[in-house]
Amino acid sequence: MASHGIPRVSGASLDKSEQAKQKERKQIDQYKALESEVTDRIKARDYSNATFQATSKLLSQNPEYYTIWNHRRRLLQDVFARELATGPSGPLIDETDAAAAQKAGLTLAQHEIALLVKEDLLFLIPLLKQYPKCYWIWNHRSWLLSTATQHLPVHNSSELWQGELGLVTKMLSLDSRNFHGWGYRRQVVKEIEQLNGSSMAESEFTYTTKMVETNLSNFSAWHNRSQLIPRILSDRQASSKQRQTFFDSEFELITRALYTDPYDQSLWFYHQYLMATLDASNDQALPILDPCTNTGRVDYLEREIDSIKEMLEGAEDCKYIYQALLEYSSRYIEVEAGNKKVSTVELREWLDELRKLDPLRAGRWRDWQEQLKL
Amino acid sequence: MSLAAGPGRGHVAVGQLPEELKLVVDKHVAYIQSLDTRKDELEYHLTEHLRIGGIYWGLTALHLLGHPDALPREGLIDYVLSCLCESGGFGAAPGHDAHILYTGYSVQILTMIDGFGALEERLPDCKQKIARFVASHQQPDGTFAGDEWGEIDTRFLFSALYTLSLLGYLPHQRPSEPPLINLPAATAYIKACQNFDGAFGVSPGAESHSGQVFTCVGALYIAGELDSYLGEEGKDRLGAWLSERQLPSGGLNGRPEKLVDVCYSWWVMSSMAMIGRLHWIDKAKLTAFILQCQDPDEGGMADRPGDMVDVFHTVFGVAGLSLLGYPGLVEVDPAYCMPRHITAQISK
Ligand SMILES: [Zn+2]
Repeated sequence: MASHGIPRVSGASLDKSEQAKQKERKQIDQYKALESEVTDRIKARDYSNATFQATSKLLSQNPEYYTIWNHRRRLLQDVFARELATGPSGPLIDETDAAAAQKAGLTLAQHEIALLVKEDLLFLIPLLKQYPKCYWIWNHRSWLLSTATQHLPVHNSSELWQGELGLVTKMLSLDSRNFHGWGYRRQVVKEIEQLNGSSMAESEFTYTTKMVETNLSNFSAWHNRSQLIPRILSDRQASSKQRQTFFDSEFELITRALYTDPYDQSLWFYHQYLMATLDASNDQALPILDPCTNTGRVDYLEREIDSIKEMLEGAEDCKYIYQALLEYSSRYIEVEAGNKKVSTVELREWLDELRKLDPLRAGRWRDWQEQLKL
Repeated sequence: MSLAAGPGRGHVAVGQLPEELKLVVDKHVAYIQSLDTRKDELEYHLTEHLRIGGIYWGLTALHLLGHPDALPREGLIDYVLSCLCESGGFGAAPGHDAHILYTGYSVQILTMIDGFGALEERLPDCKQKIARFVASHQQPDGTFAGDEWGEIDTRFLFSALYTLSLLGYLPHQRPSEPPLINLPAATAYIKACQNFDGAFGVSPGAESHSGQVFTCVGALYIAGELDSYLGEEGKDRLGAWLSERQLPSGGLNGRPEKLVDVCYSWWVMSSMAMIGRLHWIDKAKLTAFILQCQDPDEGGMADRPGDMVDVFHTVFGVAGLSLLGYPGLVEVDPAYCMPRHITAQISK
């Protein structure tokens, strides 16, 4: 439907042969028959294994069919409720199951729920691989896990969530900017932290280091890093000095990256983030320095303006450099009224370069010129 | 009456695009009209969950193209009513479960075709019942779930707010009644989704993404808090992030280092329009990019030049051109993605 990246094909090749049409008609009939089977069974409240298998078959053909996912959950809810109602003295207890449950320290109902959840999580794996952007599959996964968390002891649900961390790590190694992947990772980490009562900020921070080292241009990883920084500093109970050392090392990391590729927008965004932590008017970037004094701000602004000026050599056609110089200079002028570092002449020069290099955003540069009174 | 979302049948290869780019209005109208005649294609059946969305996209495109009556009104009303569930919400197609997104599309369609009278006959006090369905999905933290299963996304919050506003059930539209939702909590949640770059993510802590920028900016706009919350500095910051989405082809992408796309172009530019920064990108180049995404022979628009068309990209392409002031198009409202002359009638 909302098709992306599928080339348009010629009209002639779309004229199907009679044979192809017949085949398609047959496929449609089969699909509609399966759909009716599922819908009829659910209407009759037939929450049997056969119905469950029919939903599996239909969802494998069409994982976007959200109502069928809902039916599947209704069915599972019914099974779980029955398991929980039967209790340990139910009439049909399989002895091996009972022994396994006992060994795992679970009630029989918990044991059954854990098995069903694990089985359904496995069912989703090939679907996720084939349709990594389908919201409903991720949704169902989250539902399974939160339902398990509700019914199982902490130890068991924590194990399930740990498995998810492994899965999402694998998925992000295949597509390192998968939006759902990063969002899901944050959700999984939050759940494990809650269950275990301990912070994972340090190990997640290390993970982002690994990810940006593999691919500098991974803004999703840089973003996650920026989210973790306030937490690790607070977890470490970092002193003023330690915070400053940390801040310096982040600048070192990003400056090295920028020297490798000053044309990479992701890197500049991270640099902007670091600078935004110095900006008292930006409520979305918590200060890294503590205390974050005006002298501190001026020092860092001066240092970064100098360092970025040096980057110009050999990269005179890189618009991001001029943008950064203008932005940080205008902030510098605000906090350092004496304004020793930058001259109006320089600002004008940078803006002229920007206009030449980036005519697409001419309107923005015009507004900026007015704002800076150049 | 239902619109399939299937592909077009165009056959122009990239590189063969005409010298002079023009919007092929009649062909787009014919393409949208043809979408209901695809029942012999498997794809038609596999995309049933997109039917009500498809109708909203197609109908909006037709309105903006100046052909609001190109689809039979009676057929549209019958179809939308057949998607109504007992809860007062709408599903994506007859027999599909109610969801806040499809309820939103249904209300948009009914507003455009003036269909609430017909619905009232079937469901007395229909507007209030739909509004209550929507309001019942608000969570204690202010956000909205999409359905009874509880998935959270700023898309649902935005959908809830525009649906309630079209129905006339936002708190400020009924000052004498107890509010159906906690609007301050909803906007507080949106604000928590904002990042240092001025843009918004899908939940607090998530990476900025232009689809989410659109829903968050749209939600604040409809709640009447956009200007006061962002201020000029906030608009500059967000506008800068959004304007960097334009690439040399003229098209816009959804996040840094991603490909340009007609649908993202709409979400980015409509957000820029809402914060008064649309002049920060090259409108002529963007217009040319959108026109290149047309199938000039069979109608419809694609994500990128030369790709397969669909009704989703068609409406966002046409809406984009309207926002860019392309001659002959009906003016679009950037928040609702509906004709301005219709949203102008919403009670404030
Ligand atoms: Zn798209």
